[in-house]
Amino acid sequence: MAHILPFTTDPHRETRDLMPWLITGRLEPEEKARVEAHLAACEDCSRELAGERALAGEVAELPIATGIGWAAMRDRLDTAARQAAFVPASPPQRRRFTARRIGTILAAQAAMLAAAVTITLRVEAPTAPYHALGSTPAAVGGNAIVVFRPDARESDISRLLKANDARLVDGPTAANAYVLHIPDEARTQVLDRLRGDAAVVLAEPLDTAALR
Amino acid sequence: MSDGSVAHRQTVEIGNAVTLEDARLFAGVLAQERDAFEALYRLYHPRLARFLLNLLHRPQLVEEVLNDTVFVVWERSDTFRGASKLSTWIFAIAYRKAMKALRRLDEPVEDRDADMRPSGGDAPDAPFGRHRTQEVLLNALAKLSPDHRTVVDLTYFHEMGYREIAAIMDCPVDTVKTRMFHARRHLRRLMDGELADWL
Repeated sequence: MAHILPFTTDPHRETRDLMPWLITGRLEPEEKARVEAHLAACEDCSRELAGERALAGEVAELPIATGIGWAAMRDRLDTAARQAAFVPASPPQRRRFTARRIGTILAAQAAMLAAAVTITLRVEAPTAPYHALGSTPAAVGGNAIVVFRPDARESDISRLLKANDARLVDGPTAANAYVLHIPDEARTQVLDRLRGDAAVVLAEPLDTAALR
Repeated sequence: MSDGSVAHRQTVEIGNAVTLEDARLFAGVLAQERDAFEALYRLYHPRLARFLLNLLHRPQLVEEVLNDTVFVVWERSDTFRGASKLSTWIFAIAYRKAMKALRRLDEPVEDRDADMRPSGGDAPDAPFGRHRTQEVLLNALAKLSPDHRTVVDLTYFHEMGYREIAAIMDCPVDTVKTRMFHARRHLRRLMDGELADWL
């Protein structure tokens, strides 16, 4: 790579053509070597180079600036996002973009859905298969969720349920939680008592609506 | 002009750093992350604004074309195949958009007032020194065709090689060299001895 290839045309012309990129350091090594070799031998081209450097420096330092900014772009993205979500019929390119945007929105929705499903599954996994997600809660739906200590015995659980007039609705879920039904009027006090019991890790009210 | 070459070196170093940043941000843009896009916008904004203002000479058009350009980057990020540098791809979009905007204006692309401008003659209130040189140079640039102006700006301000410029302007490398040669000759003639004061 280091050896100097000869000029294919007039060396003066080629040197003058490549001069700008010699100044900015953008020539290939062999081009640079060739041009520099010619410059070393040619006074005219060297003078030309000095003038060109002056021009290059002036152009680089020209005060050209605009006062435009991100705000207009942000507004445009918002508009596009709205259009992408609500305009179904459009030319191919537009549709492709729309599909991408909707894909993004769907991905975001999917992420949110996954989170919701995780919660829902923990609570509802053991329910009967015909229990649709959108159906109205059954008359004896759960209204509290309880996690017992892993070493809690069944006798402890039965004792707690009986003492508090609570009924086991579902469970255990994958996270070993139980869904209980507690008389509404006593729920707060019962949950307080459960939390105070050594066999209970967690006891929280469960409102089906809040999960939707 | 030893100062000039120092400035060039610094810009090149910054240029390399920017390329790594480019890759990181563009990954975010591909994933349609708006934060990454905003960062990329802010990174390219000064360079694109300068490039477009130099090319278009119409500030009100610069914002429109610049935003059109980066919007394509956002919208069509999946069409960038990495065959060129990201900056080359973005500048090529900007160049196409700018030329389209100029054609749409249906105005002569050359400076319409060229004949009415004094060529280098001093007005009574003409500024002196460096400021004056810059003003004369801006006037001289305005008299070039947009293509010639573009090659000069991409070479001396954006410090791009002729191959990269050819990719942006979608023309043969020899055309870039020829345009640059003619542009320089015009500029130096139009500068009318201004530069000689700096030698």
